[in-house]
Amino acid sequence: MTHAGELISAYLDGELGGGERQRLFDHLSSCGTCAVEMEEMQVVRSAVRSLPMMELPPGLIPEADVEAVPLTRNRGFLVGAAAAVVAMVIAVAAILTPSPVALSVDDLNSRFGARVSADPAFGPAKVVVPSIIEITE
Amino acid sequence: MRRVIALTTALVLLPASVALGADLDELLERSGEASYSAEQIITCSTPDGVRDAVVRITQNAGEIRVGAPVDSDLSAASGYGGYTLLRGGDVVSSSAVEAATDEVVPRYVVDDGVPRMFLGRDATLYRMVGDGLVRAELLIDLEIGALLRVVTFDADGQVYCERRFISFDTSPAPVDVSDPVEIEPIQSSNAVTDLPEALGGFTRLDLYSDDDGFTFAYYSDGFFSFAVFETPSVVQLSEPSTFEIHGESYDRSFTPGQVTFSWESRSGGMALIGDLPPDMHQTVLDGLPDPHNPGLFRRLWRSLFG
Repeated sequence: MTHAGELISAYLDGELGGGERQRLFDHLSSCGTCAVEMEEMQVVRSAVRSLPMMELPPGLIPEADVEAVPLTRNRGFLVGAAAAVVAMVIAVAAILTPSPVALSVDDLNSRFGARVSADPAFGPAKVVVPSIIEITE
Repeated sequence: MRRVIALTTALVLLPASVALGADLDELLERSGEASYSAEQIITCSTPDGVRDAVVRITQNAGEIRVGAPVDSDLSAASGYGGYTLLRGGDVVSSSAVEAATDEVVPRYVVDDGVPRMFLGRDATLYRMVGDGLVRAELLIDLEIGALLRVVTFDADGQVYCERRFISFDTSPAPVDVSDPVEIEPIQSSNAVTDLPEALGGFTRLDLYSDDDGFTFAYYSDGFFSFAVFETPSVVQLSEPSTFEIHGESYDRSFTPGQVTFSWESRSGGMALIGDLPPDMHQTVLDGLPDPHNPGLFRRLWRSLFG
């Protein structure tokens, strides 16, 4: 191995397997040029990673939008799946849960009419008329 | 079990008395004991227009049957703490309550009465006054004590409702015993409630907790009365109008002789039904839980699970 530039880049990118990694380390221990190059590349990468992140204006790099598509699809899928589960739980609960007792106006009239008629003053001035008996609007 | 609507009660015509005292309780109690058949016209001038009806009434010793003279098979029987709504002889709705409280401090005084003739009969006209306002006129048959006509007034002196007999027979029709109704009456309870004991000049007489999961309280001021219901779900009124107080909206519906309100509070559905003149509505509703809009998701949840 005369120069291990390619291997150094591949190592820093985490692409080397165990055997290649061992070969690289063996070379670096005997090649000062490659060892220096490796050290400089590590410094540069660390410096780049420490820079603040800036948001790019939309559309500036078309590739970035293309890259976001799979992420959006994944999120949409998860949201959709969660919504489907919630809907299914609600539907099952609605089937299993008895509906609340619904009162009608007739029910109200009936209770009110019963209590009114227990009044000592009950008479034609107080009698509850079925609401459907109406002659004009 | 108490027989609530005593359809087999023996007909006992009370002895005629001409010595009527000007006491509201006595007058009304006497009218409730009369026995007769009559046709009654009910006309109410409400903020939503006129509501009127003609009904056939048969009163026998504390029980009243009411139905339309023509074109309706709907009728109701009430008395002794029971009310049954019938359609074509079949029970549509039936309730029975046990009243624990009868007494209420009268809010009104009655004048001495003026002789009148009505439907060819001797009668006496009484005016009922409260808070300086004439609230009702009662025309009572001199012979049997029947309440021939009652007119109620709004605070501005305008007629709110009038119930008057247009025909009158002191020989009541025989009671039909073919449809007896017996149900267990709801007992008045001491359940904890947010419903106040006094409300706009009215006194809470009884509070009931129903097996169906709602409570209701009965209020009276000695003449006008209403019931307030706390319900699991909101009661839907037929073609209601909107009544607003301080920007809060209530559904309101008038029928001959009655008004019904429905709204949703923070704790569930609420309804009020009674014979209150319109000027009393705001005062009474102000003392009850306010309307509350629960939002779309909560409405959906309630519609599914209550």
